[in-house]
Amino acid sequence: MDLLSNLVTGFGYLAGFQPVVAIVVGVILGILAGAMPGLSPSMGVALLVPFTYKLSPQISLILLGSIYIAANYGGSITAVTINTPGTPSAVVTSFDGYPLTRKGKAGVGLGTSLVASTVGGIIGTIILIFFSVPLARLAVKLHPAEYFALAIFGLATVASLGGKNWAKAFLAAMLGLLINTIGIDPISGVQRFTFGNYKLFDGFALVPALIGLFALSEVFTRLEEYKLEKGVESTFEKTQWPKFIDYWKLKLTILRSSVIGTLIGIFPGAGATIAAFLSYDVAKKSSKHPETFGTGNPEGVAAAEAANSSSVGGALVPLLALGIPGSATTAVLIGALMIHDVNPGPLLFVERPDIVYSLFAALLVANFVMLGLGLFGSRLWIKVTVIPKKVLLPSILAISIVGSFAVHYSFFDVASCIGFGFAGWLLKKYGFPVAPIVLGMVLGKLAETNFRRAVIMGGYKVFFTRPASVILLLLAVASFAVPLIQTHNANKKEKEAGGTPEK
Amino acid sequence: MELIRYLGKGTGFTLLLSAMIIIFGIAAYAVIRSSKKEYAGRILFPLFFIELAFVFLVILLGFPAKKEAGVGPGVVPLLWIIGIFSFSILLLIKALLRFEEKDPKWGHIGVVFVYLGFTILYLILMQYIGYFISTILFLVGGMYYLAYRKWKVIIYLTAGWLLFSYFAFYKLLYVPLPTGKLITLIFG
Repeated sequence: MDLLSNLVTGFGYLAGFQPVVAIVVGVILGILAGAMPGLSPSMGVALLVPFTYKLSPQISLILLGSIYIAANYGGSITAVTINTPGTPSAVVTSFDGYPLTRKGKAGVGLGTSLVASTVGGIIGTIILIFFSVPLARLAVKLHPAEYFALAIFGLATVASLGGKNWAKAFLAAMLGLLINTIGIDPISGVQRFTFGNYKLFDGFALVPALIGLFALSEVFTRLEEYKLEKGVESTFEKTQWPKFIDYWKLKLTILRSSVIGTLIGIFPGAGATIAAFLSYDVAKKSSKHPETFGTGNPEGVAAAEAANSSSVGGALVPLLALGIPGSATTAVLIGALMIHDVNPGPLLFVERPDIVYSLFAALLVANFVMLGLGLFGSRLWIKVTVIPKKVLLPSILAISIVGSFAVHYSFFDVASCIGFGFAGWLLKKYGFPVAPIVLGMVLGKLAETNFRRAVIMGGYKVFFTRPASVILLLLAVASFAVPLIQTHNANKKEKEAGGTPEK
Repeated sequence: MELIRYLGKGTGFTLLLSAMIIIFGIAAYAVIRSSKKEYAGRILFPLFFIELAFVFLVILLGFPAKKEAGVGPGVVPLLWIIGIFSFSILLLIKALLRFEEKDPKWGHIGVVFVYLGFTILYLILMQYIGYFISTILFLVGGMYYLAYRKWKVIIYLTAGWLLFSYFAFYKLLYVPLPTGKLITLIFG
């Protein structure tokens, strides 16, 4: 009952002018920060922290929380329209979102991503409200062996991502994992594959790599198809927008992905990207038409977006209940809370329920505001898809370059972005998917540090003696084997029918 | 081990890289001259990755061994290198046995390389004449090269992007967009 009355009080607080403005401004800024390649949700939140010094703790947290929620959705806009994911987690959205745009169905991609993000965000917040304390306790009890098993489970999704090109997908993932080891070893301090170059001490930054692999490689592919001819191109074609029934058909995918996203978000260090990859994999395996994933299936967009938005609720669980920031954005949020003399942790719920519950209420409202602004904005963003290539391609290059530079103010990052772009173009041409490289770079650190910590704590056998670790590893094996068996069976059937088997 | 340590750094590493390039060149020549030339890319890609993994392996073998309980700095990268070897060999065999599709056809590759050159030039210019002037040249030149001739659109778009990047990145985010060595030298 306490919880409900606190929640009612939280909603009551939002009735004022300031909280409403904070939510609307936060959502707008969040969408912009997410949509801009190079600006991450954590940067968007960090940017606004100085502006909160003179605000009350409640308003500050409402503003920053709204940015966090909306930035995860914002990343999908450029992923769907121009194949340039604004955030790492939006990489997964682009798998089906961009093919939809190429088919002239950008409206379906944008609409699905908006609704799935909203519903995912709401479900994540509801789980946060009702289960934050027990879930946070569970998250901190996990052993490094289980975190390692979780990373391996995430990696196993490559088998499903790669489809008939599974060997190429795994090779790409291994390359991503190896790239991730470049730099100073976090445990022993040894320089690995740096060639004595100090710019490589921190390894390759993720954002320039993903901008290169997705945005630049796509620009190069489009340029390769390009004929240098004068003349008018691109007329505005009426796009298709999903109807309520189309969203309704995605209810199970959105619900399932939201739960997966929230649960993955709770684990410190896991985050929205892994949540999106896992949900996409699960959605593909559960679909009646898995072969359409990657070719413009709205289910793929819904799974990725619901998961990455709901992971926000998950990431706030250990932050608020235990005072542990599990991601870069929550680390910034904890800093913002401390500026206002608010110490997150179990006592926060008892000592300052006004702050906690007004944030919960604001997160729920922010999702609806995001839906409203997104519906209005989608009509505008979709026009990006009718910009002539002659204008769009140089513009994407300019955005990518300034986006890569903004990460560390480094020309090395820009050069690596171009390098990744060129490599991505060649790899895609020869059937190597580039998403597993990003997955490898995201999961590499989580896998390695936890593998080594687990071995230090309990030797190599520890992975097989802890039940949760064993279950996750078995799930990983199944996740790896099932798509391969399915491909094998499909080939066999086609062979028997006299068709050309998949290679 | 001495040989591996020698190959892992300095002159030895240069020798190793040279050997890898020569081997790759010979293999490329042999494949293109053979009956498998339609699979050249499918064969040379895995070969490149095998060589890459070999170079990383040589460097890795020079890492210090673990001294206490736990896993040394080379163990996890070694796992990934083994993975790269395994999948590359698998792909190489598939390509040699013609289980892979033939190489894709190349499109207007010249346009790609010209644009790549533009982009590299843009980066170099940015360091000398600054972000704003080099961006004007890049956007206007880039659109003109792609045969776009609507000057009004070109001017509005370039100006709009410069204003956006000035306010969003320079003013709001405090990103120190390069002012350029030459500009600094002339105007201080």
